[in-house]
Amino acid sequence: MLEISNVTKQYPSPRGPLTVLSGVSLALNRGEAAAIMGPSGSGKSTLLYIAGALEPPTAGTVTLGGVNPYTIPEKELAAFRNQSIGFVFQDHCLLPQCSVLENVLVPTLVANDRAAYPARARDLLRQVGLEDRLGHRPAELSGGEKQRVALARALILRPALLLCDEPTGNLDEASAEMVAALLLELHARQQTILIVVTHNLALAARFSSRYELRHATLHPAGA
Amino acid sequence: MRLYTLLARNLAWYWRTNLAVLLGVATATGVLGGAALVGDSVRAGLRDLVLARLGNTVSIVTRPGFFRQDLAAGTPIIALEGVVGHEAGVEVYGIETPQVLITAALAKDLGARPGDDILLRIPKPSSIPLESLHGRRDDAIRTIRLTVGQVRDLPSFSLRPQQGDVRAIYVPLARLQRDLNQPGKVNTLLLTHAPVDLKQHYTLADVGLRVRTLDNPSCLSLEADSALIGDSVATAAQSLGFRTQPILTYLANAVRMHQHEIPYSLVTALDSNLAPAHDDGITLNDWAARELGANIGDPVTLEYYVWRSDALHTETAPFRVERIVPLAGDAADPNFAPDYPGITESRNLRDWDPPFPLDMSRIHPADEQYWNRYRTTPKAFIRLARGRELWGTRFGSLTSIRVFPPSPHFAESLRAALDPARAGLTVVPVRSQALAAARGATDFGEYFTYFSFFLMASALLLTGLFFRLGIEQRTREIGVLRSLGFSASRIRTLFLLEGAVLAVAGAGAGIGVALFYGAVVLLGLRTWWFDAVGTRLLSLHASIPPLALGAAAGMVTGLASVAWTLRRHHSFTPRALLAGAFLWGRLAACGRVVLGLLALLLASLSLFANQTAAFFFAGTLLLIAALLFQSAWLHARKSPAIGSLVALGLRSVRYRPGRSVLCIALIASATFVIASLDAFRRDASPPGPFPLVADSELPLINIPPLEGVQFIPFRLHPGDDASCLNLYQPQNPRILAPPPRNPWPLLDSRLPGGAIPAIADANSMTYSLHRKLGEEFELAGVRYRIVAALQDSVFQGALLISEENFLRLFPDTAGYRFFLIHTPPGKADEVARTLTAALSDYGFVVQPTAARLASFHKVENTYLSTFRALGGLGLLLGTVGLAAVLMRNALERRRELALLRAVGYRPRHLLTMVLAENVFLLLMGLSTGAVCAAFATAPAVLARGGRVPAASLAILLALVAATGIASSSLATAAALRSPLLDALKSE
Repeated sequence: MLEISNVTKQYPSPRGPLTVLSGVSLALNRGEAAAIMGPSGSGKSTLLYIAGALEPPTAGTVTLGGVNPYTIPEKELAAFRNQSIGFVFQDHCLLPQCSVLENVLVPTLVANDRAAYPARARDLLRQVGLEDRLGHRPAELSGGEKQRVALARALILRPALLLCDEPTGNLDEASAEMVAALLLELHARQQTILIVVTHNLALAARFSSRYELRHATLHPAGA
Repeated sequence: MRLYTLLARNLAWYWRTNLAVLLGVATATGVLGGAALVGDSVRAGLRDLVLARLGNTVSIVTRPGFFRQDLAAGTPIIALEGVVGHEAGVEVYGIETPQVLITAALAKDLGARPGDDILLRIPKPSSIPLESLHGRRDDAIRTIRLTVGQVRDLPSFSLRPQQGDVRAIYVPLARLQRDLNQPGKVNTLLLTHAPVDLKQHYTLADVGLRVRTLDNPSCLSLEADSALIGDSVATAAQSLGFRTQPILTYLANAVRMHQHEIPYSLVTALDSNLAPAHDDGITLNDWAARELGANIGDPVTLEYYVWRSDALHTETAPFRVERIVPLAGDAADPNFAPDYPGITESRNLRDWDPPFPLDMSRIHPADEQYWNRYRTTPKAFIRLARGRELWGTRFGSLTSIRVFPPSPHFAESLRAALDPARAGLTVVPVRSQALAAARGATDFGEYFTYFSFFLMASALLLTGLFFRLGIEQRTREIGVLRSLGFSASRIRTLFLLEGAVLAVAGAGAGIGVALFYGAVVLLGLRTWWFDAVGTRLLSLHASIPPLALGAAAGMVTGLASVAWTLRRHHSFTPRALLAGAFLWGRLAACGRVVLGLLALLLASLSLFANQTAAFFFAGTLLLIAALLFQSAWLHARKSPAIGSLVALGLRSVRYRPGRSVLCIALIASATFVIASLDAFRRDASPPGPFPLVADSELPLINIPPLEGVQFIPFRLHPGDDASCLNLYQPQNPRILAPPPRNPWPLLDSRLPGGAIPAIADANSMTYSLHRKLGEEFELAGVRYRIVAALQDSVFQGALLISEENFLRLFPDTAGYRFFLIHTPPGKADEVARTLTAALSDYGFVVQPTAARLASFHKVENTYLSTFRALGGLGLLLGTVGLAAVLMRNALERRRELALLRAVGYRPRHLLTMVLAENVFLLLMGLSTGAVCAAFATAPAVLARGGRVPAASLAILLALVAATGIASSSLATAAALRSPLLDALKSE
């Protein structure tokens, strides 16, 4: 279970602390998914990164499976992220120097028991429809294809939590549709906790739980 | 997928940046390895040269005088220094050769060819010291006419370790022995094996001693070829357990009583029944008493010559007649007197040919009759102590030692007791000495490491810079890896591994660079920087140790540079990295200011140290302080308002302050070196009181007087040139002694422990002798202490000691061979011409003092030129770095530039903007370097008369500025060439 409790995030600025999140709480169980919407600069991505153990909150707690990642040492935190969290960014963030298959396998480089993962990587790439592009470099792929590789990479270690930051933001409508469908299909298959931050209403509409960030606080969508 | 797969992918994908890093490491490796290789090559070159010149000679037996040529198994030769034609300082060797050979260098100087006649002047061997009564000062040179048989090419035999061409003449040994009247004798034996034990081989004759058997009285008489027995030999002879009688016989110009005198009489000082009982008593033989009309108790005066203060002086001593003995028995012994050439063999008094003035008018028939009948029989006797007091010299104070009874064992006992080395017969391990000397007075490896320091520093800064650019390019990649679960340390390890691979590959490539760099530097030393080495015989000796050293140092420094670059990345959150946050610049501006102030304080303190320290420490610290202040300013939050294109461009300087500071540092450090070195150049020295200096190949005792000209003569003990003109490490430097009245009272001080106070030229002391002021050291068994150092002096290459100490250490070294000459104003040239013409037989070479100093400065200036050239290369690297950074900045801001073009900026606007930024960096670097150099070198400049080579410096800095602006313009133009739409689309 992911539990975000009363999280506040402030950034220093010349005119005093700038509050981006204030008292945000959210709880999701395994297999549940939520979309978070909001205008630019509302703190959506910040909340996502806090949930993903990438940026510590100013106040409040985050636990995943009962573990508060911000209380563990850096080395263990890296391992925690590696094993428990998968990320998909708006900009796919693939390593240009690696092939499609290698990009999917990059997280396994720092994981234990690496022997099983090449097969899983091929399987995931087959699931996202890229089984015939294993040796290609990111530069040889379209935007949608790159994002599908990023999705496969995010799921390679069977994370409990899958976090997606505008996963379709850079894609055309058809590609966005395909990536969204894949995302939800794989989520359902893998039974992850899925949080998607998006501006895309069509994508958000696919989620039963939808939230909106306004004035640094989280509200159920439409409330 | 393995970590090394990712590593390989990274290395291949970012090949451009990695290649730049690799080249940076290769350059640093190459420069360091090349510098070490230069040192090794110079040492190897010197070693090969000296070994080729020594042939298979391992050691030599040598003596200032001559000895039997079959003293030991070896090759007998005569080795001298002489004058050929007007060429002084020529090595003269008597060897087994059928014809006269001269080296190509000497032939060139003489303009001589085979078949030409040449005149050779060499010191005439004489056992009798020149600075004694019987020394033949006016006949000290032997002139020999020779015909050149052959001009000999390299390698030429030489015993003198020197990197320059050998200027030598090789004369048939028998011919030289004949002309020097030394049949069967030589002064050097070449040994091809380990040193021999001379004690087993030498005879008393080899060290100038002989034992005569006398019949009346029956005894042995120990005598010396020099007519005076040295004190150490006398002590040894008298401590062997035989009954001995020491004797000193001297020539009195007159034995006088009232109006009567007996001219040119020998007087013997001894302790026997002939001697008077009192020191002021004198015993006359009855012939003398009769001639003088003297009775017991009458006053008698002895008049005699003594050698004092470089001239013969007539002195007198009063005595009272204590005894009158019959001219018979012991009193009629002509063997009290040693052999004096020109005197003892003369048939009558008027035939005497002594080396001192004789007044023949004082000689009467009775005196001739005495000579005819009694020859050298003394006419008077005094006590030995009194005789020694009057006539003792530094060469000894006995003319013979008689041994009673005539033991057949005395000669062997004395031979066994004597140390031949104390008598001047020594074995010199020339090969090992030459090998030690070949290690070099100047460690060129060390020098070129210093000279190349800024080149290396630039290369390493570039290495760090390129690596940093590469990492900045991959900031988001680091963020992705962090979000995927890579720990900061693992990412650091990954990058360090990349750096290690690049460092190893760079170091490998650097070996090739080192070979190239070493070859180029050696080419420079043979050509452009010839004055620093004075030889064209240096070539590259590729050896593993310097290359391994360079490679290891390149790897370590390259990796350190990479590690330094990576030191901060872990302190950023993955999110910040994903957003492309800068990895650098966490130290607060105030922290930089504090560090800058600290550096400034240390720089101020360093200025109180000596000049060299002031330059290296104060200058470097000033530079660091300035860079820290600039860094603080660039990292400050507040920026000036943007009111113009230039201001907009200058705002960009703060965009990546780390890069900007690095650019400034590269340019500033190179400028600092170049500007500083110019301030250290020595062009001319202010005229001193002695406009001329002179060297005499053969010792001069009497210098012909010239009106208005004053000579300050220096005694010289020949040795190795310890000046910067000699690359070999001097094993036994030349020693000079000024006359007693000199401006250096420290030379006369008595030091605890008995060390001899010495003064050295500061440069010779530091760079050739590798000594410090106050340091004690031993040379040929004698301890010296450097009590003072002279700046920029004509005494470079020698040690100065007092005349008293000199004569004690080298009693056999006679005459003067170095002179300071004061001339009337405007007469220096005329005096030089006159002296050169009058004393050319002595190899007297007169040179303007300014020219002598200029020859030393030339070496120093050549070193500075070398340093400057390599500093210039560093500056070139700095400019390359600047261009790379500018290109990178321009490419990164491609979108920004495209946007500005889209909103109506013209290319020239953008060029103005970018140039403003680049010119600012360039000028900051140039001015920082120049100002720091000005402060750091101010003490040195002021000490040299406040001369600043402003013109050459201004030209140099202008060239640097022009190069920098050109590279900036190219970088900007390249960035502006990218299509507008592509750049905008990527936005």
